[in-house]
Formats: sequence, C-alpha cells, structure tokens
Amino acid sequence: MLLQLNNIFKWVQQGGQRIFLLKDVNLEVEEGEFISIMGPSGSGKSTLLNVIGMLDTFNEGEYEFLSESVHTLKEKYRSNLYKEYIGFVFQSYHLLDELTVEENLEMPLLYKKVKGSERKALVADMLDRFNIVGKKDLFPTQLSGGQQQLVGVARALIGKPKLILADEPTGNLNSQQSEEIMQLFQKLNKEDGVTIIQVTHSEKNAEYGSRIINLLDGRKI
Amino acid sequence: MFKNYIKIAWRSLKKQPFFTFLNTFGLAIGMAGALLIALYIYDEMSYDKMFADANSIHRIHADIKFGGDAREFAVTPAPMAEALKNDFSEIELVTRFRTRGSALVRKADDQANVKEEQTTFVDASFFEMFGLELLAGDVKTALKNPNTLVLTKTAAEKHFEIGNAVGQNLVLNNEETYTVVGVIDDFPQNSFLRDHSVFESMEGNGDAKEINWGSNNYQTFIKLIPTVNAADIQEQLRGFLGKYVIPGVQQYMPGITEEQLKKSGSYLVYSTMPLTDIHLKSHRVAEISANNDIQSIYILSFIAVFLIVLASVNFMNLSTAHSLKRAKEVGVRKTLGSNKIDLVRQFLVESGLISFLSLLLALIFAVIALPFFNTLANKDVSIPFTSPVFWVTLLGSVVILGLFSGSYPAFFMSRFMPIKVLKGGGGSSVGGGTIRNSLVVFQFAISVFLIVSTLVVYQQLKYIQGKDLGFSKDQVLIINDVYTAGDKVTSFKEQVKQLGFVKDATLSSFFPTPSSRSDSTFSPEEGGTDQENAVSMQTWAVDYDYVSTMDFELVAGRDFDKNFGNDSTTIIVNEAAVRIMKLSPKEAIGKRYTPGFDSNNPEYFTIIGVVKDFHIASLKEDIDAVSLHLGDRAYALAVKIQPGDFTNAIARIEGVWNTIVPGEPFDYYFMEDAFNNTYQSERRLGNIFIIFTVLSLLIACLGLFGLAAFNAEKRIKEIGVRKVLGASVSQISMRLTIDFLKLVGIAILISLPLGWYVMNKWLEDFTYRINIPWWVFLLAAFLAVLISVLTVSYQSIKAAIVNPVKSLRSE
Repeated sequence: MLLQLNNIFKWVQQGGQRIFLLKDVNLEVEEGEFISIMGPSGSGKSTLLNVIGMLDTFNEGEYEFLSESVHTLKEKYRSNLYKEYIGFVFQSYHLLDELTVEENLEMPLLYKKVKGSERKALVADMLDRFNIVGKKDLFPTQLSGGQQQLVGVARALIGKPKLILADEPTGNLNSQQSEEIMQLFQKLNKEDGVTIIQVTHSEKNAEYGSRIINLLDGRKI
Repeated sequence: MFKNYIKIAWRSLKKQPFFTFLNTFGLAIGMAGALLIALYIYDEMSYDKMFADANSIHRIHADIKFGGDAREFAVTPAPMAEALKNDFSEIELVTRFRTRGSALVRKADDQANVKEEQTTFVDASFFEMFGLELLAGDVKTALKNPNTLVLTKTAAEKHFEIGNAVGQNLVLNNEETYTVVGVIDDFPQNSFLRDHSVFESMEGNGDAKEINWGSNNYQTFIKLIPTVNAADIQEQLRGFLGKYVIPGVQQYMPGITEEQLKKSGSYLVYSTMPLTDIHLKSHRVAEISANNDIQSIYILSFIAVFLIVLASVNFMNLSTAHSLKRAKEVGVRKTLGSNKIDLVRQFLVESGLISFLSLLLALIFAVIALPFFNTLANKDVSIPFTSPVFWVTLLGSVVILGLFSGSYPAFFMSRFMPIKVLKGGGGSSVGGGTIRNSLVVFQFAISVFLIVSTLVVYQQLKYIQGKDLGFSKDQVLIINDVYTAGDKVTSFKEQVKQLGFVKDATLSSFFPTPSSRSDSTFSPEEGGTDQENAVSMQTWAVDYDYVSTMDFELVAGRDFDKNFGNDSTTIIVNEAAVRIMKLSPKEAIGKRYTPGFDSNNPEYFTIIGVVKDFHIASLKEDIDAVSLHLGDRAYALAVKIQPGDFTNAIARIEGVWNTIVPGEPFDYYFMEDAFNNTYQSERRLGNIFIIFTVLSLLIACLGLFGLAAFNAEKRIKEIGVRKVLGASVSQISMRLTIDFLKLVGIAILISLPLGWYVMNKWLEDFTYRINIPWWVFLLAAFLAVLISVLTVSYQSIKAAIVNPVKSLRSE
C-alpha cells in the first residue's frame, strides 16, 4: 500500500457557513497504479491532488503515506517526505525561467543534496532518455509547450519518486502533444512501475489510466 | 548549492534590469553618502591622537565668574605650571603655550619679511610632552635659553636649508632677534598645532615668571604618570583657588575670603580636559586653534545612519513589491523539495550580491564626489584604498547591510504557500502591504523634514546677509601689518586717501569683525568705584576718520574732530554702552568715565558722541558695549573704496605701499569676507542639508517609483475590470495616484511639527533670528506632493492605458 486516505474533510468558512471542498473522501492507492481523477470544475479534483501531495492541509481525517501518518507530521518532515517520494507535474509546466533545461533538471537533486558527480550522471541520463540532449542549454522560453512539459515530467522523475502527481498535465497542450505526454506516462507506469495520479478533464486521457475516480462537490461518487 | 544561489541571483538580477538598477542605485547613493560622512567623522575623531602619549596629556581649564559675566577659559595663569609641578606627584610634565598670533620673520641679513600666521612661546618640555623629534638641533638643549626658537620644516625652508638652520639668526617683527636651535616636522592637519610654525623659548618671555594669578594667558598642558586618572587630581586642583588665587586677590581687596567670594556669586573652578577631547568638545575663550563641535558630528552621524536606513528600507520595499514576480519561483522550488531555510539563504545571497554591486557603484560615486565633499566640509580626506582595515570594515558593513536589507524580503517571500502562488492568484497572495506603506511614510517623513530644515537654514542665512549691521562692510579693504611702515604709516594713509577711487581710510587695530577684542572696565566720575556702576566696554583705539569710514551713524553728540584740540581725552560709545550706563544717548554726552582701578590718579574720558549699535560678533551673540578713543598705534589700515575694478584698486594701493616700505609683505582682506567667514559653519550646514535632502528625496522617489510599478501590476485585473465597466484612463490613473498621496499626506503630517520643533531649537542659538515663516511648511508639503505625483503618475498612466483584454486574459 502506497497511501491511504480515511474520511478526509476539508472546508473553508464563508459568510459564517462551511463550504466543503472535500467531504468524507476515502482512497487507497497501491504501488504501480495509474489513477485519473475526474469531475467538473470546482469538484475538488485539484484540492484532492494537493492534499495527496502534502502541499495542502485538511481539516479532518487521516492520511497515511508509506505507513507514516502525514496528518501528525510537522511541516519539515512532511516536506522531507514529499521531497523523497513525490514528483509534481503542472498544467503550466512551472519551469524556472532563469535556469536552462539542464539546470532545471538538476534542481530537485540539489535540494536532496545529491553529490555533484552523481547529479551530472542522473541529469545526463534523463536528458538522454527524453531525447532532449540537444536542448539542455536552452531556457524554457525557447521551447514549445510540449517540450516544456517534457522537461517538466523529466524534472518530476529525476528524483526517482514513487508517485507522480499531475494536475491537468496536458491542459495547455494541443492534441498531438497531449498524446505524446500521455503515452510517456503510460510507459513510465508500465515499464518503471511509477505510480501516477493525474487530474484531467479529458475522457481520452483518463483512459490511459487503470482506475478513474469521479468527484462531485468534494465527494467521491 | 552556494554556486547555484549565486548563479540564480545573478540571472534574476540580469533578467530585471530596471528593478536591479533601482535597487543598486538607491543603495549605492546611500552607501556613498554614508561612506563620505564616515571618513569625515573618522578624521574629526582622529585629532591629536598622533602624539605619543596623547591619552595621558590634559589641558588645564578655568571657569571664572568674577563680578561680570561667567567665562570659560582654555588658558590659566602663568604660575599655574610651577604650582602643578610642586603640588602634584601625579604630574610628570608641564608645558605652557603663550600664543602671540602672527609674526613677520626675516633673516638677520635680509630685508624682506615672510609672514607666519601662528607663533607661540613654549616651555622647553614641549618636545618631551608631545614626543617630538628634531630634524635638526639638539632636543636636550633646545629652547632652554631665551631668544631661541624652533621652526617647523615648512617655515624653516622659507629661509634656509634644514641642515644649515641651526645657529642662524632670525628677526621677528623687525625688532626681536632669535637664534634657531631646532627644526621639527610640520604638524599634521588633524593636530591642535596645525597652524603653528614658530616656537619661541618661554625663557625670553618675562611675564611667564611673574607670580600673577589674576590674568589668564597660558595654555597649560600636563602629562600624568601612567597609573593616574585625571579624575584623581580634580579636587586638589580646585583647591588652588584658596591656596594661590585668594592670597593674590587679597592684595587688591584686603580681607576678602573664599566664602565671601562664593556668597557674592563669584567662582573660579580649575579642571582638566584630555588633549584628545579638545577638538570636538572644547569651546572656550582663547582656544589655540579653531575647534569643531561634537554637535556637528552627531548631526552628520544621524544623517549617515538615515541615508543607510532609507536606502535599506528602499531595498526592502522594492524587493517585497517585486516578490510578486518571484512568487511562482518560490512555489515551484517548494514543490521541488526546497524548505524555507534554503529559500531564505537564496534570497539573502541575492541581496548580498546587490549590496556588493552597490558597493562598487558607491565607491565610484564617492571618488567622484570626494573633491566636492572636501570643499564643502573644508577638509582634505581621502579614501584609504590601500588600508586593509578599510576594506575589511567596508566589506563587513556590506555583508551586514545585505543581510539586514535582505532579511525582511527573504522571510517574507519564503513564507509563500506553493498552492496559492502556483494557482496564479496574483497579488492577493502577496501580503505585507501595511509594512510597505509605513516604510513609504517613514521615507517621506524624513524627506519633508529635511526640506523644512534646509529652507529654514537658508532663510536664516539670508536674514544674516541682509541684516543692517550698523556699519558698512561692503567695499572695505583692510590692509594688515601696516605698523611695519613705522613712522611712515600716516603718510601711507594720506597717500592712499589721495587715490581717486578711495572714499575714506582709517588706521586702527580694531574693526567690527569677530577677531577684535580688548576689554576694559570703566567707572563713572559720579558714583565712584562702586561695582554697580562699572561698565565693561571694548576699548578701541582709532583715528579721526574711523566713524566716517565705517559708516557709523551718530545718534547724539559729535565725531572726533581736529578742530577741538582736546579730543585725546574723549570717547565715543555705542548705544549698548549707554544702555549699561542706564542713560539715554543725550544724557550720556558730557559724562566722564575712567578705565581701570587706579583710584588715586584717575584719567577721565568725556563721552562726546553716541553711535548706533553695530554687530562685532556673530549674530548668535548680543551686541557688545564699545568705546572708541583716539590712539596712534595701529596694526591695519581700512580703506573704503568706490565700487568698480577692485583688482586694479588693490594693485594701486599695493603700489603706494611698495614705494613707502619696499619688501614688506602686503597683506589684505575684505571686511565682507571676514564677516562671511563667521557664518561658515552655518553655510556648511546649509549645503550639507541641501545635498542630503536631495539624496534622501531621490532615494524615496526610487522607492516610490518601484512601489507604484508593483501596485499597478497587482491591481492590473481590477484596472481591467474597471475599464470594461467604462472608467476612463484619467479616472483610473487618478485613483492609483491618490492612494500614494494619502501616504505622503500622512508623512507630511508627521514631519511638519517635528521640523518646526527641531528648527526652532536650532534658531535659539541666534540672538538675532527669523520666525519660521508659514510658507516654509506649505512649500515643503507642496514639493513632497509634487515630486510624488510626478513619480507615481508615470506608472499609473502606464497601467491605465493597458488594454483590458490583455490584463483579463491571464487566467
């Protein structure tokens, strides 16, 4: 078992009323799964993903990640935990504009305090694997959206995470680029056994996954 | 990781050239200003510390109130030295200076004189006291014999090679012959003896051996043995009053005791001051050289700190404002595994880098501004580029400044929550508005305060310049040292008067400039020697043309006149004197007064005229009582000339001088310049205020400009919505500008009363001063508003003309 959510509630106060973002969500994820979270706008997809990614907190319930109770951990340990095991992919890529492709890939390794020589090897490996060796010295703004997202995925993978969280990873891409990214996810999931949870609007993209979770008004249906 | 920080910092600075420029430029200005001030203060603090045992050298002071006014003297009686040596085992050495002012110096077989500005008698212990070495001569015997002297290197080289100096004869003021017994190095600019070049042996000064505790003429320095504190000798020193001074007074006032003296409100207190404190803390009668005021050091330190704080506040303001653009980066980094500390470190490296760049820029600014600053401050400071201590201090300060300025932005930014900033929530996710606003208020409050101060200082200076002084200082040329012409001085005067452009000329030693002083106490014929009726007046020896040359206005009686044969026993006084006599000018005419206490054979002077009050000192002081009498020993000739070609006029007068006494130096100055010199420190203060007002305004504007840019960006969506709903460009830019004007308004409300209070305190120093006019405050407020509107409107208009389609699309 990779992670387990039990009776998760999350709400905000608005005009004296509780607005529920997540309502009694239960979820178990095994290693090697490829899950798609679907639902209309405002159904809580991204919130759920952020809670899983430990970027956001929740008000009630329990969350266990690799048998650690996330809800009882302090921020520092939490960030160590996701630094170690989780990679993020964003809709708008969120590469650091001041850094080249190579340096963007190196960034997570720096924060993990990986040694210099090893870092170089890992980055070279990743550039090779994603076929972007020729672009390593370019800055993000010099790349197309598809290429940027490719770098985004490579950066998420470089720390050898157990889990990749992707928030509408193809939202800004055209259909051909989308398909390439989804095929890449599938390959990573099948061949490398990386667990993937993605948020998507697209039925087509959802089909790449092994399981679909539907949300409506913060509730699993 | 550190390399990575630097790399990122460098790139993000390069990516935002405008922001980087605002930040570095603002900081550099602040640093350069503070650096110059620091050099100045360092120099001021270094006075007299170069002497070997400076810390154990002290000067004896006397605070005296005896009948008249209380006065604080830097000088003490001649026998003080002997008494100190006899009574204190704690005192290792005593040295006295008896200053003599300027002297004309020539070689015995030479005709032409050279003027030396400052000369003094000094005890032979001088060399040991101050650890001086002789470049030529024997230190063991130097100055032990009368009519010997020691010269500084520069003064000696005017007459002979240093190697040949010893044993040569020099004539001082055309009458006294001295033998040179030694040459010492010139004194550095930051020593109390900087202007002194000739040191005559005290042995030749008869007055030095007299036991007279009644007159104070000797600067007396002591050196304490190493284990003794100056505090330890104070009580015994105060005892000198009873032990030495009272017995002396009893000769004139038989039977008087210390108690009686104290009861009548009189006192005499001896104390000591460390040599190294003299330059900044001593403002006494008969200082050996002009001192500075510790107050000005405080004002400058205050300004330096303010500049740095202003610049640093600017940095914080701009950085946090700018953080909007960095928010996404913070979010991404956090999801990549960065924790707060990593981010704080990264931002601190960035601010460190900016402060380092600013330092380089500041050094360039400082080098460019240094000559100008030196003129302004009347100094000769240089940037000690070769001193390791300087660099260590400088780099240390830069690191501290970088950390200080960077800390708030760093902690502020590292707090951003990734999910918020990554969602593109924009401005709403960046807080800290209140702090930024109060920083702007703070900056503008200081700027407005400085504007008020500048205006007040300048108004007061203008008032001084235009004030009716009771005499005419314009176009009066004063020629010094005319006594060297001997008997021919009157013919010099008459020949000068013949020149067509000369309106009038008068011989005297005393002019209405701050340097002329000669006090006497006068007693009236009626009322006798009763202390109550005594009048303390300046007594100036003048000639028949004095009143007309100076343009004094007679309010009663007549001028000196050759047609009245007996004017040698008459005096003319000013209104201030008449007030002290408790008479009206009319009543005073014909009254007879006698100077001094010689009651057996009094010589009475009759008041024949009363002139309107005239200022002889700075307007900080009250008008002194002055009496004029006819006398013939005069040091200077005052010449009133018609407006026109001064250079030619001076050349013509010099021509006359050279035909009468060839070879004697022709030394002159304009009375107006002497007058202006009196207000040099005020003028300097005014200039300093102007410069730092401009600098602080500049810094504040840089900050405001950056902040306006930030604000416009933060509200871009709001502006877009307003435009879609039909708002015009002018409505929107008004709206944005007014938000800032509110802050400036608050700043004005804080700083105007503060400025009013502080500047009134400053004006209290002047007996004759302006009332701060109301328009000063209005103008200061108006300037602040105008400058801020100009600064902000550019950004406001820029934001207001953006097409809403662009600004609203971003999500």
